[in-house]
Amino acid sequence: MGPLAVFLWLLNVTLDTIGQLAFKAAAGDPEAGDGIARWKYMASRPWLWVGVISYAAEFLVWIAFLSLVDLSEGVLLGSINIVVIMIGGRILFREKLTPMRVTGILLVTLGVAIVGVAGGG
Amino acid sequence: MKRFYFFGFLILVAFDTAVQLAFKYAGNHAFPPEANWAWIVRVFGHPWIYIAVIGYIGNFFTWMTLLKHAPIGPAFAVTHLEVVSVMLFSVWLFNEPLTWPRVAGALVIVAGIVCLAFAESGSHPEHDAPTEAKGALGVAAGD
Repeated sequence: MGPLAVFLWLLNVTLDTIGQLAFKAAAGDPEAGDGIARWKYMASRPWLWVGVISYAAEFLVWIAFLSLVDLSEGVLLGSINIVVIMIGGRILFREKLTPMRVTGILLVTLGVAIVGVAGGG
Repeated sequence: MKRFYFFGFLILVAFDTAVQLAFKYAGNHAFPPEANWAWIVRVFGHPWIYIAVIGYIGNFFTWMTLLKHAPIGPAFAVTHLEVVSVMLFSVWLFNEPLTWPRVAGALVIVAGIVCLAFAESGSHPEHDAPTEAKGALGVAAGD
């Protein structure tokens, strides 16, 4: 994997993490209320848009990244996002990382990585 | 809360799967891929791309509803059930091979999700959000 592919991979992890944490910040805001008012409130705050913009940028970065590596390799490398977002949730939202939660998250990451290695057969 | 999670994630994975399958159909109908206007016209000339867009919108609203309560770390992991569902549909609809390594990966993903379901049944998910989210944003200390 060349330096450009590594750069795009790290950029993808960064954008995915920022996007998901921003969505959580928007969705979990207790001031948001319920129903239609909740969606209006979220749309009026920056976090939702930080998430949307991160995702739009990530979409392009992911396509560029996949043009440099095999799809299976891309899926394998992309599985690291799960662990990084878990750590982000712990730091920013003080999500409890019980042994059972960590085991579950790591198993899902491992499973996605295995599917990545396995490729299309 | 269990019901909220169960049906929430079920709907989310259904939207995710529909999006991926629709993308694949859209790509197939527009074959061969070309970097020109004709390819764009072919992509948007079939209903599949619109199903993908509807799926994206449905996915967004479902995800934001789930995240009102769900902790982001475990919830993001669970969304990867899509890898398993897309694999199974690909075998059925596109005759893609179901190799042993892929089956093993799928089983490990499912095992991880079972662990997360157990973890949730033994905790009080409402303690994760939204108070903690508020605290993290510096609006007010959560706890």
